[in-house]
Amino acid sequence: MVDQIPALLVLAPLFGALLVALVGQRDHRVCFPIAIASLSVTLIGAIAAAQHVFANGPMNYFVGGWEKPLGIGIHLRIDALNALLLIAIATVAVLVTFFSIRRVGEKNAEKTHYFYVLFLLLCLGLFGITIAGDAFNLFVLIEVSSLTSYGLIAMGSSRRGTYAAFNYVLMGTVGASFYLLGVGYLYLTTGSLNMQDIHSILGTNPEIASSKAVTIAFIFILVGIWIKMAFFPLYGWLPNAYSYCPSSTACLLAPLMTKVSVYVMIRVMVSVFGLEWVFVSLGWSHLVVWLAVIAILSGSVLALAQREIKKMLCYLIVAEVGYMVGGAWLADEGLWGMTGALYHILADAAMTLCLFLAAGIFVKRHGAREISDLEGMFKKSPWVMAAFIVGALAMIGVPPTCGFFSKFYLIRGGIDAGHWEYVAALLISSLVNAVLFFRIIEIAFFGNKPAEGHDHSHDDHEEATEIAAPHSAPPVWSGNLPLFASAIIIVLLGVFNGQVVALIRTFLEDLPAVAAHF
Amino acid sequence: MLSKIFASIAVAITGSILLYGVSDFPAFGDPNSPASAGVPGSESVSLYFIEESYKDTKVPNLVTSVLADYRGYDTMFETVVIFAAGMAIFAILRVVGNDGEEKRATSLEDSFTNGDHSRIIVGTTVRIVVPVIQLFALYVIAHGHHSPGGGFQGGVILGASFIIIALSENLNAALRRLSEQNYVRLAAIGILIYAAFGVMAQILGKNFLDYGVLEPLLFTDGPEMARSHSMLGVEVGVAFTVTAIMFAIYANLSSRGQLEKGL
Repeated sequence: MVDQIPALLVLAPLFGALLVALVGQRDHRVCFPIAIASLSVTLIGAIAAAQHVFANGPMNYFVGGWEKPLGIGIHLRIDALNALLLIAIATVAVLVTFFSIRRVGEKNAEKTHYFYVLFLLLCLGLFGITIAGDAFNLFVLIEVSSLTSYGLIAMGSSRRGTYAAFNYVLMGTVGASFYLLGVGYLYLTTGSLNMQDIHSILGTNPEIASSKAVTIAFIFILVGIWIKMAFFPLYGWLPNAYSYCPSSTACLLAPLMTKVSVYVMIRVMVSVFGLEWVFVSLGWSHLVVWLAVIAILSGSVLALAQREIKKMLCYLIVAEVGYMVGGAWLADEGLWGMTGALYHILADAAMTLCLFLAAGIFVKRHGAREISDLEGMFKKSPWVMAAFIVGALAMIGVPPTCGFFSKFYLIRGGIDAGHWEYVAALLISSLVNAVLFFRIIEIAFFGNKPAEGHDHSHDDHEEATEIAAPHSAPPVWSGNLPLFASAIIIVLLGVFNGQVVALIRTFLEDLPAVAAHF
Repeated sequence: MLSKIFASIAVAITGSILLYGVSDFPAFGDPNSPASAGVPGSESVSLYFIEESYKDTKVPNLVTSVLADYRGYDTMFETVVIFAAGMAIFAILRVVGNDGEEKRATSLEDSFTNGDHSRIIVGTTVRIVVPVIQLFALYVIAHGHHSPGGGFQGGVILGASFIIIALSENLNAALRRLSEQNYVRLAAIGILIYAAFGVMAQILGKNFLDYGVLEPLLFTDGPEMARSHSMLGVEVGVAFTVTAIMFAIYANLSSRGQLEKGL
């Protein structure tokens, strides 16, 4: 039974989506139970898979039983690198499903079932990307997750959201095609699509590994994934797409999409090309770390310039992507940068989820879109604000939240590798986050002193009460439950960082390249 | 203008990088290229397919056996991509109008011969041609094992037969034959069929999509024939989804999500 889990992870959301499509159009009330049931099954499956992986080593699953020779069939793989990410995806998906009750159906109730079909298919795509052991299969699932996310973003009622979705379609398509071109080049030169197989071919045939075609394949795959994760300078699509879409969509996409893309980048570096090839033969880690530094700084500065809460959070995501890409490319001897990046994938998913949920609740209950609208929020909803502060402290990097520990590991990697510019960027970004969030806390606690800001927020409130009509308001617990859960996860992830990092290190220490010279 | 220049430069750079890598490619049609002959240390996948696929699956068209069996998991998700595309389009475009019902009632009467003589020729031709198209579509679906064809191609042809009805008369004429509720269902059922073949194999104790184990269910002699028959089954599933989504996308785009009148 346990060995069927990799297939179960994608099949449960698939059957959920199909069931919603079949029966959801008659009765929208069945959508939510089906979604929550199928995602809970995946969550249990992901936890069982992780237990199995950390007890017995990696799980290999060959679809259709086509195992030998390697590469004729599709290979699914769960190992220490992706087991924790699977749990993270499933947890976020379940929590956001709770958040999505009734929120989706308010404006156009007849589309509720389409929303849940797309939602479940998006989760399916993310699970599939994470467990894929085949470079082409990864592309197919990137397509599933991209198409569904375009649809989900465009479902919002604002025109700007539709325009942002169109922009995202163009950028996303370019990204996916770049990835596919890279895989095509790789197939032409190695004759295989299986990641493990490509890795061993590149390892045993130095003349192939040193060919121009393989280098170009890597560049195209990397740039394609960078577009997907909104890495500097390819982040133009992200802020509008994530801030003008429905709250439930933003809460699912913002924590997961970029993080899964970072995972794909690390997977390609580690399991397809191999760290030695990436760091020693290619030797571009300085360039990429500098790009990451610019990403962190520009994301932080642009976040500082935003008036809208969600836009600000979006630019923070751009900065956080810089953290992870930089960390993964630090190439320090103990791979602490990579460890930090992998830990930060989990930490950032929790932090982003918490902040976006809180932002969604502010909009829904108080119509507060802009930072100045948060005035007096401590009085209006103290618990939501408290959870928001937990997320904010994690973003700043205050112990014992997970944000502190991920920065700790990343900085350790930066110092070991001698990339002081990266260390400096991390510290500056923390400082900027502190300024940002303390400004918000100040406004929420003491109110807005300047008169014009006050007038402005007053106007918005009138507009807002109209939006949050009492009969359409979702039950309070549906917003608070996932929010508090995410805040608790942030703290737990921080408190138990030693154990989590130990699990991540089990994978990295098995890599042959760790002891090598880079 | 500036953005156009910038875009052209970006395209030129991308193109030249791609061309730069081409010089390392194996020669065109080279029988010893890595993709056809494999590289030292790794057996060639293509050679395996050419030599073994008939023995494994008893399907002469090895494209079909690679598509529907060896890489069936990919094909299932390609079908899901089509399904997701359809769902995304409905989610964005579909407008449920309040006056849709009465309009549909009136347009039921305007038949294709209503006074418009140019339509008589088109309409009559379509009436004659559509059955032939549909029969050919079924042939393409069923004959994927032996010749080019299969679920995607056949499904597109079948979907086109509904689109041609909508073009020659009006959208409602086509929607009477395949209604909105039914095309969503048909699309979901298509993938369900595909996934069901996979899950049946899991229930019988093998991995997902391991068709060979379905031998007792399909009353075949030997697992190879079970694979062959299951491939036909999943192709039918693919055809369902593709047909439904092809038509549904046309219906939604041509009527701006109103699902009435059309072009």
